[in-house]
Amino acid sequence: MNSTPGLDGLIEGVIVGISNELMPYLSNEKAQATAAMMQSILQAVRQILPVYETCLVQEHNDMTATLRTAAEHLKAVAGPEADRIRGRAAELGQLADLPVPEDRVVVESAHTELGRALEASIADLDVLQRAGGVDASAADQALMAIRAHLAPRYLRDFQLISVGGGFLGRG
Amino acid sequence: MCDVEFAEGGVQISLATYLSRRSNFVQCVLLATSTIFGERLCSHNQCSSTSANQPVPTKGLFVNDQLIRFLEKTFADADEVTIEALAAIPGGFSRETYRFDARLSRGGREEVLAFILRKDPPKAAALLHTSRQVEHDLIEAVRAHTNVPVSQSFGYEMDPDVFGEPAMVIQRMHGSGQTSNLFNDGVDANQVDDVVRHLCEVMAELHTTDIHKLNVGGQLSDPRGVGVDTSSWDAYMDSTIEYYISSYPSMAYDPSAMILLDAALTLRRTKPRPLPLALVHGDFNPANFLYADGKVTALIDWENSRVGDPREDLGWMVAMDNMSNTAVMSHPRDEGGFLAYYNKLTGWDITPEELGYFILFGTCNIAVPVTAAIKRRVSKEHEQFLHLYILQPSMATLVAFTQLLGYPGAPA
Repeated sequence: MNSTPGLDGLIEGVIVGISNELMPYLSNEKAQATAAMMQSILQAVRQILPVYETCLVQEHNDMTATLRTAAEHLKAVAGPEADRIRGRAAELGQLADLPVPEDRVVVESAHTELGRALEASIADLDVLQRAGGVDASAADQALMAIRAHLAPRYLRDFQLISVGGGFLGRG
Repeated sequence: MCDVEFAEGGVQISLATYLSRRSNFVQCVLLATSTIFGERLCSHNQCSSTSANQPVPTKGLFVNDQLIRFLEKTFADADEVTIEALAAIPGGFSRETYRFDARLSRGGREEVLAFILRKDPPKAAALLHTSRQVEHDLIEAVRAHTNVPVSQSFGYEMDPDVFGEPAMVIQRMHGSGQTSNLFNDGVDANQVDDVVRHLCEVMAELHTTDIHKLNVGGQLSDPRGVGVDTSSWDAYMDSTIEYYISSYPSMAYDPSAMILLDAALTLRRTKPRPLPLALVHGDFNPANFLYADGKVTALIDWENSRVGDPREDLGWMVAMDNMSNTAVMSHPRDEGGFLAYYNKLTGWDITPEELGYFILFGTCNIAVPVTAAIKRRVSKEHEQFLHLYILQPSMATLVAFTQLLGYPGAPA
């Protein structure tokens, strides 16, 4: 998976593309408004994406505590409604907290650093391979290990990133 | 291609089928693009005519007027020149291409000539920087020294003030460009063996023509100006591969591009036997020829032409044949296919393994400028959307690289 451009960079690119390469050529006011609304939605996605999973996890963990607190306030209350709330607190309110995901910027940065390490290793292995001898054979195997790591990544990226169309060149 | 399967709409399909569907989709994308472009032309010119005849605005004059001036200079004996049916041709990202007819009155007689205007895109949008003047000189040299069918070039205009960007005007040849009709039981499938036989003969002639006749002023030795040395086959291969390797930092928008580095280094370690250097077309693919009545009527799109190894053209055709769901390499059947017939014509005995090497070599040649353009967009040197979009189709190329380099676990 690419860390550069990340999801934010791709979405930002679409917003800019709409501004520069579509909107100036739209003569219909409704189409212009729709394009602006599309940009607004995309900008919202940009703002939500970095914190989306963190927010969901934090809210999940806060909701379990809230269920318990609500039930605590009803300790002295009888009746089926209060019983159902206590039941939810006893069941869902006891769920374990979910782990807060790693900050995406941190993950992307670590991923990039490791990627650059593999990239540099390919260059170093080439020197060993060209030198020949026993070291070259070992370098061949080391290169194959890196290739074995990369092949499924490229295939997965192709499946994930490609949409049902879009191929550079003439149709 | 490969037998790996992908899910599309819940249906498992092969990679080849998937790619062919993607190719079909692109035509829709390009047609949509040309439609948007057409709307712009109309609104700028307040034109009331049909969308097929839209003037293109340039500095000072519209393209119609500029074309008239250009042709009046070219056909100095013409009393009057008028332009008809000017329309953008969808397809191809590297040049903007328009078709038009010119009605010429000469000595009381009137004739209509068919032309193509090939225009550079704006500099920031260009994926490949090439010269229309070099392309003009090459086309005319090919016409003068070979039987390779090619459009006549009527000249070029390098001053961007005239057409908005440098441009050239060439003859619009007769023949069908719908080469997919030759394959997969298409309407012209009965012509495929004859057309591909001629195509093979054309390429064999191009590759065996003395390069000194075609390489006018040495312009095609290193048309990108990147230090390619064509003094010998070894010098050419070494300097070209060095260009690929040294270009890697300008391409590596992300470490995941490292397979391009691996490819270039592998090319350097595994050079095949030499062959005589030749003038290569540079984009020999199933979409770059026209045909009629069992013959090739024109090889088109010479902008990436250069001095190189003739196997580059064959390797690129193998790659694009797969991507396009065509079968050029399987014809002519009675000669055992394109490679066998080409070997018979040239005596070069090129092996499928050598072609594998040159698929990689040729793909790197395209990948360098294209991936560098992606990096320029990612690092926000410009804001062209196309270059961001190319990230998507480039994923297919990286999978193809894993196959060519024999990555463990790559699709067969």
